[in-house]
Amino acid sequence: MTDDRATESSNSTAAESTPILRVEGLVKYFPITRGILFRKKIGDVKAVDGVSFDLYPGETLGLVGESGCGKTTAARTILRLEEPTDGAAYFHGQDIFSMTQRQLRDLRKEISVIFQDPYASLNPRMTVGNIISEPWNVHGTVPRKDRRKKTQELLEVVGLNPNHINRYPHQFSGGQRQRVGVARALAVNPSIIIADEPVSALDVSVQAQVVNLLEDIQDEFGIAYLFIAHDLSVVRHLCDRIAVMYLGGIVEQGDEYEVYDNTAHPYTEALLSAVPVPDPVGRQDRQRIVLQGDVPSPSNPPSGCRFRTRCWKAQDVCAESVPELVDRGQGHPVACYFPQVEFATEIPTEGRNLDPAG
Amino acid sequence: MVKNSLDNADSLGGQALDPAAPLLEVENLHVEFRIEDGVVKAVNGLSYTLHEHETLAILGESGSGKSVSAQAVMGILDTPPGFVTAGQANFRGVDLLKVSEEVMAKQVRGQKVAMIFQDALTALNPVFTVGWQIAEMLRKHRGMSKKEAKEQAIELMERVKIPDARDRVNAYPHEFSGGMRQRAMIAMALSLDPDVLIADEPTTALDVTVQAQIMELLHDLQQETGMGLILITHDLGVVAEVCDRVVVMYAGEIMEDGDITDVYHHPAHPYTLGLMDSIPRSDKHTDRLSPIQGAPPDLLNIPSGCPFHPRCPFVRPRCSEDSPVLSDIGRDGHESGCFYWEEVERDR
Repeated sequence: MTDDRATESSNSTAAESTPILRVEGLVKYFPITRGILFRKKIGDVKAVDGVSFDLYPGETLGLVGESGCGKTTAARTILRLEEPTDGAAYFHGQDIFSMTQRQLRDLRKEISVIFQDPYASLNPRMTVGNIISEPWNVHGTVPRKDRRKKTQELLEVVGLNPNHINRYPHQFSGGQRQRVGVARALAVNPSIIIADEPVSALDVSVQAQVVNLLEDIQDEFGIAYLFIAHDLSVVRHLCDRIAVMYLGGIVEQGDEYEVYDNTAHPYTEALLSAVPVPDPVGRQDRQRIVLQGDVPSPSNPPSGCRFRTRCWKAQDVCAESVPELVDRGQGHPVACYFPQVEFATEIPTEGRNLDPAG
Repeated sequence: MVKNSLDNADSLGGQALDPAAPLLEVENLHVEFRIEDGVVKAVNGLSYTLHEHETLAILGESGSGKSVSAQAVMGILDTPPGFVTAGQANFRGVDLLKVSEEVMAKQVRGQKVAMIFQDALTALNPVFTVGWQIAEMLRKHRGMSKKEAKEQAIELMERVKIPDARDRVNAYPHEFSGGMRQRAMIAMALSLDPDVLIADEPTTALDVTVQAQIMELLHDLQQETGMGLILITHDLGVVAEVCDRVVVMYAGEIMEDGDITDVYHHPAHPYTLGLMDSIPRSDKHTDRLSPIQGAPPDLLNIPSGCPFHPRCPFVRPRCSEDSPVLSDIGRDGHESGCFYWEEVERDR
């Protein structure tokens, strides 16, 4: 068991290698303003509030959480598509947040993006050949005469017919369009791809094709993925390490087995227990933690631990100070004062509200 | 006379309801859309039976015809371009496809068969309060006074576990979260005690923790009322959690149907088998996935024979020539629409 786990994680998270991307205390607030002529700031939407993680070369880090938890904003801020409020991000030790426009342009050769909606993220008036080769117009990395050949090679890499180079996006199915998106991301020869819900819009039978494609590309080119998704099953399958986010902060981080089978944070526990299991046998015996109410507003988050208002373990200390993301060994940091320790006792039933309305 | 038949609870449009007949029995339903580019055959011979207390899943990917079939049963198909070209939808023995729109509106929709949709925000009217919209059903159909209807609406909101219902009855849809809106939709659907509830992707737009709340609520309400529930979804996980039977659709046809456990553990159709192998699991490690090759067909141009044959790993020449008929494979009504289902089962 332990041996399995060691081999499972060693191929990706070699402790001695240095991170390719390091994010430290990332904060992004969006101002809430009132008034038309005289805009007065009346508050902040605290979309991302102190997120730190490392991404190592060739690994897949999953950023998972429900809508509004800040996972997409975190990624956009790292790419400088949003200006950060506070914190730092380093690509190979270089500070992304102090880069000039020129340096940023170079950065975007190293970090490319795949978006969720393959219908909206491809320009309908451009041929797929032009879509895929467009980054070269900006970066000039491939000489003009080689572009056609290189584009066809990329189409082949992502499993599309290289003769379809002059077709338009509407002539492709959803899965094929997402392959075009992958080819475009590969065009700049990146070392990191940020994939924001790349398979959520696809049908089940097609989703698996794109998941396999992403795996193959990583094996072939050694690209690191920052994989943003809400589907916990896909994240488990694809990611070497997983960071679970709630209301702008990471609550728990670790490899597949630590986060899914040895869950320490109550939110992760509730989240995982809510995922439907595609096996009808034993469904009546499954323990489900149904959380009370909704996620609080990020413009007015609870004091201390942000999950405390819905947590069955919450005590006074949880309201007083923010629990730090602390590693208690095993490379499995948890931001909770009362984390589930390994082989811990049952969760107390009293106080654990099975009734969603309370 | 007509008026009289409308008021009679035991008949629909003059036809007596048969309490011994199945709750809802759809037979050989065909729906097509006649558009400029041709005829889109959305549903091609769908049949299923729903009983009281039963949860039936209609499982399929986009374009499989699962939602269109429900719209046809409810009489809310966009006509034109959509037309029901054949089939029956018998509610307690009365064919809903033959009764007049007036009877559908006054006696069937909401009272006998109710429906909830994926997107609760667009399904609710933004300029009226949630309470007013729930109460409207009761004022129109039950003839309640404004005050009575509002009280009843508060009770319904409490039943679907909307907290502080008495205060929130005056809130507008935009003041509700996604999960609360879906609860309000369910309250509205249940306001007239329907015998059948059709839920069309009720949790697809919701987060997983909210999805669990809504599915639990639907399950509890079904236990309470004994209504039949049809769950239309693409999510194999949700189906496995709540359904008793499942109908697997592809390109408007049934590929396989049967008892949920039997279908999940002994799939007898290559498409179902392919779906099962396509999904990763959250409760255990999954090695490489085995996706179904290719993409779903263009409904203007459905492949001959078995519509799944171009993507099927078990394909034989016969599959493109003959159309397989859904046949009982002898296990608690488990049916497969594949010539070679025995081979598929052996493969598992």
